[in-house]
Amino acid sequence: MAAIEARRLERVFSGGVRAVDGVDLEVDEGEIYAFLGPNGAGKTTIVRILTTLLRPTAGSARVAGFDVADEPAKVRRAIGVALQEAALDPLMTGRELIRLQATLHGLPRDEGRRRAEALLERVDLVGAADRQIGTYSGGMRRRVDLASALVHEPRVLFLDEPTTGLDPVSRKAIWEEVAKLNADGTTVFLTTQYLEEADQLANRVGIIDFGRIVAEDTPGRLKAQIGRPHLEIKLGDGAVKRAQEVVGRFGRPLPSKDGAVLVELERGAAEIAPVVRALDEAGLIVEALDLVEPSLDDVFVAKTGHRLEPAEASEQPE
Amino acid sequence: MGWRAAMATIGALVRRAGNELLRVPGAAIPGVLAPTIFFLGLTSVFGHLNALPGFTSGTYQSFLIPISLMQGAGFTGAATGVNLARDIEQGWFDRLLVSPAPRSVLLAGLVISASLRSLIPATVLLTVGFSLGVSWPGLGGLAIAIVIVLGMGTLAACWGMVLALRFKSQSAAPLMQAGMLVLILTTTAYAPLALLTGWLHTAARFNPVTQVVETARQGFVGGVTWGNTWPGLLALTGLLLLLGALALRGMRRTAI
Amino acid sequence: MNLAANLRVIWALGARSVKQTLRRPQLLAPIIVFPSLLLAIQTGGAGRAVDLPGFPQVHGFLDFMLAGAMIQSTLLAGNSGGIALAVDIEMGFTDRLLAAPIARFSMVLGRLAGTAVLGALSAVWFIAIGLIFGARIEEGVGGALLMVLFVTLSAVAFGALGAAIALRTGRASVVQGLFPLVFVILFLSSAFFPEDLMLEPAKTVAQYNPISFIVEGIRDPVISSLSTRKLFEAIASIALIGALSIWLSSIALRRRLRIGG
Repeated sequence: MAAIEARRLERVFSGGVRAVDGVDLEVDEGEIYAFLGPNGAGKTTIVRILTTLLRPTAGSARVAGFDVADEPAKVRRAIGVALQEAALDPLMTGRELIRLQATLHGLPRDEGRRRAEALLERVDLVGAADRQIGTYSGGMRRRVDLASALVHEPRVLFLDEPTTGLDPVSRKAIWEEVAKLNADGTTVFLTTQYLEEADQLANRVGIIDFGRIVAEDTPGRLKAQIGRPHLEIKLGDGAVKRAQEVVGRFGRPLPSKDGAVLVELERGAAEIAPVVRALDEAGLIVEALDLVEPSLDDVFVAKTGHRLEPAEASEQPE
Repeated sequence: MGWRAAMATIGALVRRAGNELLRVPGAAIPGVLAPTIFFLGLTSVFGHLNALPGFTSGTYQSFLIPISLMQGAGFTGAATGVNLARDIEQGWFDRLLVSPAPRSVLLAGLVISASLRSLIPATVLLTVGFSLGVSWPGLGGLAIAIVIVLGMGTLAACWGMVLALRFKSQSAAPLMQAGMLVLILTTTAYAPLALLTGWLHTAARFNPVTQVVETARQGFVGGVTWGNTWPGLLALTGLLLLLGALALRGMRRTAI
Repeated sequence: MNLAANLRVIWALGARSVKQTLRRPQLLAPIIVFPSLLLAIQTGGAGRAVDLPGFPQVHGFLDFMLAGAMIQSTLLAGNSGGIALAVDIEMGFTDRLLAAPIARFSMVLGRLAGTAVLGALSAVWFIAIGLIFGARIEEGVGGALLMVLFVTLSAVAFGALGAAIALRTGRASVVQGLFPLVFVILFLSSAFFPEDLMLEPAKTVAQYNPISFIVEGIRDPVISSLSTRKLFEAIASIALIGALSIWLSSIALRRRLRIGG
């Protein structure tokens, strides 16, 4: 059974804004599926529809086997949600929040308390559990939000931009937690604007732009569709033309960039050594060498015609 | 959701609302200060109205205090609406909506806390009032007044919630406050019906809250009779059913 | 920066604060909505007070109450202005102003200019609804203009007080918390009822409260022919409060600049 299904899902806002413009989706149980797209692409709107916070204006969706429009209460019992707005109360302590969530899900008091303690341990917030959330750092807030989403052991977990604004260390911690959850069988649906996040975590990625899915596949296959890796070679004495002749034997030369010679390789890293040797034999000195893999950004550009992250590259962790 | 879980949820929401008072220093003060200041101020300013023929009660304080009690409840309830608007703006409300708790349980949790909190300004007002010579209403009169305070707090909270759910913004706060102000003051608030002039006389005749005022007032200005009690309770119940239904409808339509 | 440039800045900041207030219900309601509602209700509710022995000779209770509503609106306008300035401080907008080569006090003067405009607009509003609902201004057009003048000047005075508190505390919630205090001051004056007919101790306080003098100055043209004494008392009170609050706001500003906010 599909954990999440959507058929021709549409959401038009007053004023004619087509935030979701005909989306079909099928996420299997146990999958990690990521929506990748820039701000305003419709990711959050789709999550809000799937989590019963918003009604679609056309189309239908089912989560955990229940229709979101007709059986919302049943959907809510089966899902865990950590939204972008991190719906937290600064006056509550972490422990109180998770316990409240347990109560909202109808868990008996002792059971709720037991699970709260276990989750606090799991997200490493035991020390801060009795401090008010208003004093928590950004990373801590995301962790307590995540913990509260798990208190009723949901079958499907929705994470809307789970690591936006976090430092690299906190980001890695969230990724590890998500991977562990998935290993236990939870289906994870996440949205992100970070290529690396989609690449690292997701079994499948849906690229979304202007309310539509423009491409959907595993990260590897998406990248392979776009192209093969290429070498960027900077030469010592700038003999670009001669170098191009040499490397032309190994693969398709690409237009040179900033004085560097580019060549597309058929088989990737394995061909680096022969290329260098050939340049060496031709008497050309290699100053710098870089193997560039196609990124999801390239996929994004190819499918949508514009870049995903104009200046965000510096924000990505190593 | 079973009734035990529903009770637990309502309890948790009431406790959370209590945090605002307990964990934010001085948060209770505006809710208490405003009605008390109005009580003291209005009795000082309009106290001599009591000399007009038509006023049958002892002092103007005794005449006015039920209004102040109701205003305190109205203010507290409206503040609940403002808090909900804030919670909607900041995303906290999504957490409640996404959970499987039924909308009626969420509504009850939000509204009951307002009702209980109305007792705080009421207690301060009665203390101040009695020390200034307000006549003792008798246990029956007091009980009736308290019931009406709780009811008005609930009513004001429902009103605040309807607006919060409709506008989803704290800028609706003045409307929440003004609505309650108008409802309570377009009655025999300042003077008996015979002494009201112009449009206010007409408004007070038809405003169901006038009945509520007279019911709350009876102990303070005279004796308590069933004949004076049931109209006010009926009016209050009717208004609660109406606004409660509107608030519940607003909650259920949040996904539109 | 020369005088002309500074005046342009004050104009621009004033325009901004007027627009801000008109666009945000929470800021506009206390200035127009609440005083109008209370005016309507109190006039209808306590209207028979004119029958009390000792009540001044008036055409109607509304004529008496109008000044009270206007002074209430003006005080609240000053409070609103203070809240808005405090929000500017909290949000860092004032830093933007201070980093520009404008005269330091223009920040306050701009806000006061806006409050003055709002005061004038509210005065016109209340005069209009007073006339519509049957009030009669004894001193005619001249009287009405005098009322608008008093309200505008008072708005500046109260606005400066609000600004002083905003600058000193830098927190909107503190300025907002003074809301009840405005009503305390109003109740302890002759805004809503003749002093002589109030109960003690409010009566005695009202007799010395400068707000009472200002209210009487606004009320005088409506209910009788002008009395130079009341005029003088009103102007003196406005000048006193104005001078005090402008002084307070300038030292508060200097302190903030020195400490760095």
